[in-house]
Amino acid sequence: MGDLVRLLGFGPTGWGASLLTGAAMTLAVSAAAYLVGLVLGALGAWGKVGGSASTRRVVDVYTTVFRGIPELLVIYLIYFGGSEALSSAGHLLGSTGFIGLNGFMAGTLAVGIIAGAYQTEALRGGFLAIPRGEIEAARAVGMGWFLMLRRVVGPRTLRFALPSMGNIWQQVLKESALISVTGLSELMRAVNIAGGSTRLPFDFAIAGFVLYLVLTTFSGGVLRSVEYSVARGERGR
Amino acid sequence: MTEPVIVASGLHKRFGANEVLRGVSLTAQQGEVVAIIGASGSGKSTLLRCIPLLEVPDEGEIVIGGEALAMVERRGRRVPADARQLGRMRSTLGFVFQSFNLWPHRTVLGNVIEAPVHVQGRPRAECVAEAEALLAKVGLADKRDAWPAELSGGQQQRAAIARALAMRPRALLFDEPTSALDPELVGEVLQVIHALADEGRTMLIVTHEMGFAAEVASRAIFLDAGVIAEEGPSRQIFAAPETERCRAFVRRHMERHGRR
Amino acid sequence: MDELDFLGNTLLQLLSGVPLTIELTVGSVAIGAVLALLLTLLRAGSRIGALFVSAFVFVFRGTPLLLQIFLIYYGLGQFAAIRASVFWPFLREPWCCAILSLALNTAAYESEILRGGFASVPAGAIEAGRACGMSRLLLLRRIILPLAIRQALPAYGNELIAMVKATSLASLITLMEVTGIAYAIISQTYRAIEVFLCAGIIYLALNFALTRGVAAMEAWLGPSVRRA
Repeated sequence: MGDLVRLLGFGPTGWGASLLTGAAMTLAVSAAAYLVGLVLGALGAWGKVGGSASTRRVVDVYTTVFRGIPELLVIYLIYFGGSEALSSAGHLLGSTGFIGLNGFMAGTLAVGIIAGAYQTEALRGGFLAIPRGEIEAARAVGMGWFLMLRRVVGPRTLRFALPSMGNIWQQVLKESALISVTGLSELMRAVNIAGGSTRLPFDFAIAGFVLYLVLTTFSGGVLRSVEYSVARGERGR
Repeated sequence: MTEPVIVASGLHKRFGANEVLRGVSLTAQQGEVVAIIGASGSGKSTLLRCIPLLEVPDEGEIVIGGEALAMVERRGRRVPADARQLGRMRSTLGFVFQSFNLWPHRTVLGNVIEAPVHVQGRPRAECVAEAEALLAKVGLADKRDAWPAELSGGQQQRAAIARALAMRPRALLFDEPTSALDPELVGEVLQVIHALADEGRTMLIVTHEMGFAAEVASRAIFLDAGVIAEEGPSRQIFAAPETERCRAFVRRHMERHGRR
Repeated sequence: MDELDFLGNTLLQLLSGVPLTIELTVGSVAIGAVLALLLTLLRAGSRIGALFVSAFVFVFRGTPLLLQIFLIYYGLGQFAAIRASVFWPFLREPWCCAILSLALNTAAYESEILRGGFASVPAGAIEAGRACGMSRLLLLRRIILPLAIRQALPAYGNELIAMVKATSLASLITLMEVTGIAYAIISQTYRAIEVFLCAGIIYLALNFALTRGVAAMEAWLGPSVRRA
C-alpha cells in the first residue's frame, strides 16, 4: 500500500506528476479538438440547412465518411498523411527535408474533423427542433438576418443541441486517448509508459481509469448545470 | 335465483392519503347492463378496475362466477394470492380500456386472437375463424390485417371490443370506452356496445355518456366521493333520481351531452 | 497506372483483414448482448445488483476503450495468480483480450439501450395483457420483450456500427485486422492518403451492409411503438 502511494506520488520515483500532466494535456488537446469540431460543425450545419443541393451532398459525404471510419484510421491519415502533404508542399516551395505535424496538431485536427461530423448533425438537429413560430415571430418583428441569428436562432439552436453537444465532448475526451499513438504525452501515454516501466500496468491502468472518470464526471456535471440554465424559461413554476 | 356473475363487497381503496373507495358493494346478475356514473374522481374507474384486480382493494372481496379471488397481505400491502386463479378468472372477463390499449406490434387480427390462443390455449384455426366473425360484427372485417397505428380511434376501440369478445367472456367491463374519442367517432362505438347489450350480455359500463347509459342500462349506480350515493333501475337514476346530488349530476350531464 | 496498381494491391491486402474484423465484431457483440441481458436481470433483481450495474455502466462508458483494452491485455498479466490460472492461455492471447474488452464495453452501452427499450413499452399494452389473464412469463414473452426489442433496434444498429469501428483498436495489440494491415502498409510505403482511401471504403461498405441489415430487420419485425 505504501508502495502504491509512493508510486502515484510526486517524489523522485513517483509518477503522480506525469499522470497529472498527462491529464492536463488530455484536457488541452480535447478542448482544441472540440473547438475545431465546433467550427466545422457550424459550417456543416449551415451548409446542410441553408445550402444548395450540391453543398448538402458534400456535407453528407463529410458526415458519412467521418462518422463511419474508425478514429484510429483518421489519426493515421492526418498524422502520416498530413506530414506527407506538408513535406510535399514544402518541397514545392523549395524546402528540403521533412516537415512533420506534431502529435498535438495532428491529434487536434483528426479528432476535430471527426467531432465536426457529429457536431454538424447535432447543430442541424438543434436548429430543426426550434418551433417554427419562434422564427416567424422574429421575422414579424422586423429582425434582420444577422440579428435573428444572434438573438434567436443561435441561442435556441444551442438550447436544443446542447445534450448532443455534451455527448460529443465526452466522446472527444475519450477519443483523445487514441492520440497517444502519435507519441503525444497525454494521459493514456503516461499510463502506458508508467505501467511499462514499473511492470505494474494494472495499477496504473486503474489510476488512469480514476483520472478519466474524474474528467468525464466533472464534465457531465458542468454540462448538466449548463443544460439546466439554458432551459431557464421553459421550466414553468 | 341463479348466481350473480360478479359480486364485489365492501371495497376500500386508498392511493396514498387519498381514499378513493370507501366501502362500495356491487352485484351484477346474468344479463344485466349496469351503468356506473359519477363525477371525475368519484372512484368509478377504480371500482371497475378492482374487479379483475387491476387494482387490488385494501379491503373487501371480489367473487366472480361464485369463486372468490384469493388475496393475501404481503409486506403491508394486499396482493393477489393465486396467480393461476387470477389468470383464469381474468380470461373469463372482457375488459375494454379508455385508451384501447391494442398491442402495437400485432395486426388487428393478431390482437384479437392473442389471448384465445396463448392464454386460453384454444386451437389457432378456430380462434382465427371466430376472430374474423367478431371483426365483421364490429364492422372491421376489412381491417383484419391492418396495424393499430393505421386505425382511427373509433376503429381501434371497436377492435379492442372484438378482442374482449374473443375470449368468450362471461361479462364485459367497459372503462369509459368513448372518453378518449373524437366526438364524431363516439357514435360508432356506442352502436357496437348497444348491440352487445341487446344480445343479453352481462355488462358493466363506466361512462360519461348519460343519454347512452340511460338507453342501454338496465340498472345504474351513482358514485359520489367513493360511496354509492344512489343506485337503482335506470329509469329511476336517469329520469327521477331520489337524491339531490344524483339529480344535480344527471341534470348537468344530460344538458351537456344531450340525448341521443 | 502505378497509382491504380498500388490502390488495387492495397485494397486486396486490406480485404484479407476483413474476416478478422467481422470475427471481432460478431464475437464481441454476441457476448456483449448476453452480458447486457444478464446486467438487465441483475439490475431488476436487487438494490445491490442495481448499484453494481450502475457502477459498471459508469466505468465502462466513462473511460476510453483503449484504456480498457490496456487493462485487460497488459494489466491482468501483472498478477502471478492470473498467470498461473487456467485462464492464462486465453488471457495472454491478443484475440481473446480484444473480444473480452470489446464485449465488456459494448455490454455497458447495450444494457442502457435495453433499459430504454423496456421503459418505452406502453403501460397500456402491458395492462391489456394482464387484463386478458396473461401470466408474468407470457406477458414478458409476448408483449414486453417484442416491443422492447423493436424500440431498441435503431439504437442497437448504431451500437453495431460503433463496434465495427472499435475493432480497429485491436490493431494496437498486434491483431492484423483491417486497420492493423493499413498501419503496416503506411509504415512501409508512407502513402497514408491512398491507404486511408482503401481502408475507408472497406469500413464504409461494412457499415452500409450493417445499416441495410438493421433496416431489413426493422421492416420484417413490423411496426414498433414509435410509429404508433
